[in-house]
Amino acid sequence: MERKKYYLTKEGLEKVKNELEELNRQKIALLDGSGPDSFRFGEIEAEFITFQEDLGNLKKRIAELEDVLENYEPIKAPLKKEQDSVHLGAEVTVEMDGTVEEFKIVGTIESDPANQKISDQSPIGRALLGKKVGNEVKVTTPMVNHGCRILKIKYGSN
Amino acid sequence: MEAIKKFQVSTEELSEKEKLVLEKLVHACELIAPLYGKQKNSKFEGANFYPSDVKKEEIEEAAKKNPLLLHPYTFVEKDRRGRLIAVPFCVKFKKELGEIARTLEEAARISEDRNFSQYLREMARTLLRNDYAQNEILWITRGHFKFSFIIGPVERYLDKLFFKKCAYQAWVGIVDEKRTEEAERFKKIILASRRKILPDTTKIELPKLRLEINKTVCFAGQKADFMTIGTNLPNDVALMEKNGSKLSIFSSSLTYNFKERDYPIFRSVFNKKLQTYFSEGELQLALLRTVLLHEISHSLIRYRDAEQRLKELFPIFDELLAYLLGIKCCGLLILKDALKQKELEAIISVFLLLNFQYWLDTKTDSVRMQYAIGGAICQNFFSREGGLKERNNVCFPDFTKLFISIDHLSHIIEHYLGSASYEEAQKIIEEYGSFEIFEKCASGLKTLPKSKG
Repeated sequence: MERKKYYLTKEGLEKVKNELEELNRQKIALLDGSGPDSFRFGEIEAEFITFQEDLGNLKKRIAELEDVLENYEPIKAPLKKEQDSVHLGAEVTVEMDGTVEEFKIVGTIESDPANQKISDQSPIGRALLGKKVGNEVKVTTPMVNHGCRILKIKYGSN
Repeated sequence: MEAIKKFQVSTEELSEKEKLVLEKLVHACELIAPLYGKQKNSKFEGANFYPSDVKKEEIEEAAKKNPLLLHPYTFVEKDRRGRLIAVPFCVKFKKELGEIARTLEEAARISEDRNFSQYLREMARTLLRNDYAQNEILWITRGHFKFSFIIGPVERYLDKLFFKKCAYQAWVGIVDEKRTEEAERFKKIILASRRKILPDTTKIELPKLRLEINKTVCFAGQKADFMTIGTNLPNDVALMEKNGSKLSIFSSSLTYNFKERDYPIFRSVFNKKLQTYFSEGELQLALLRTVLLHEISHSLIRYRDAEQRLKELFPIFDELLAYLLGIKCCGLLILKDALKQKELEAIISVFLLLNFQYWLDTKTDSVRMQYAIGGAICQNFFSREGGLKERNNVCFPDFTKLFISIDHLSHIIEHYLGSASYEEAQKIIEEYGSFEIFEKCASGLKTLPKSKG
């Protein structure tokens, strides 16, 4: 089975590495004798259960991040001749429902709509990929339909 | 009648001094509850704010000479010669308010947070003057404290005659930093997706919208009577324009409402398939999001002249539009993958069941009548557009059609808030405001708890 690819900008890669480092630090601290006494005596208490849950969550997230780092592909700006259309890493300005919006197309890992980072797998991300300035794009989902027009495409440092 | 509601909240995180402060604040809540009881009277549209034997037109006429009669913080009474006079709340309740102010002063003395002490002292002072608007400004602009607390006359829903007089209320809660942070993220996404509003209308846009979620310890007065889940202050458009606004979500009330009212209503009015489609957790999260969307929408669009034009009908349209716009915003969230389709469907379901709840509340009390009329407008509109069907006494929502209907209806309601006359507003209420629509799916509701609180 083909392994899942994670697309990351330079900034996103840095964030994943930092988070992993921090979580590993937390894991060591948890296992380094700072856990509840009951852990050592094997007694099942609320504190012990919480400790186990915390540890379990940490391990799960660490495994996720390690998987990302093993299978990521850096997002690079496309060749000059292809920069007139939307690819991963593009900063796109669109006119939508009478409002001008700007966002960056990123991989799912970096998706952060509150900070204008939209996943390439989101309905709007999928609809915009490959389109050019001036294109009218229809974004459709079973419940929501929207039209938008691409005003600008820009590639910065990814 | 006293309106007070206390919630079980862990105070482990509080220091001994903070626990004492909390005790004092809860006591202040207890003291303000009877004042609300003296304002409330469900038998009259004007509650106890106006003499029950005086006609609306007479008050309007007298107010031309004496505008204090329609001031938010006065009672209208008759003097010995039968003339209408305005009696300020702070005069009528001088003794009681003095005791509340002293309690706040005591809390201020105990508190080790100097800014909070200062806030309490200033709030105590505003209670003794007829200057309560200052109270709301303090609430909005002062720093972020461990306690969420406000006391005074704030909301106007009790005055169904003019929608002018403010009813006493208080709440105290412990700010939940973690959930506040989560809600902030959701707010940011919504604000990033704000939309253009109707052109050619006088609207305002806000300088700042603050937000907090608190573990509510106590509700008093209007808050306890309504069992509010969220609020956005100030109500005054000019104050909001100048100072921004602050949105509060009461998590204890949210849990209480969901368990005791909303979830049982959901299980009663919707078809079996839908009941198994959503888990309880999904619906409770949807309730939180619906309230957040509603309160944030209140800040996004306010029409300066709408209150003067629509008078006591204003809150019907204002509250309804806040719900509709909030849900409409979700469309863009779906396109950006900030919300899943099922999550939007849960939000729409919660909105529909809230309409049932507001209608149900009118059977025992009229305090939420404006919300119920707005809900009826929706339900009738959705039914006519085919988004909501009824079979065998249960509802069958078609979410795709409903989402389109919500968009249509939001444009219509925006028109009413933006430019329609009072008479036009009356007409649409006559056409769509009938409660019969609820009766069709209400057979299972008879076994539900009767009222709030």
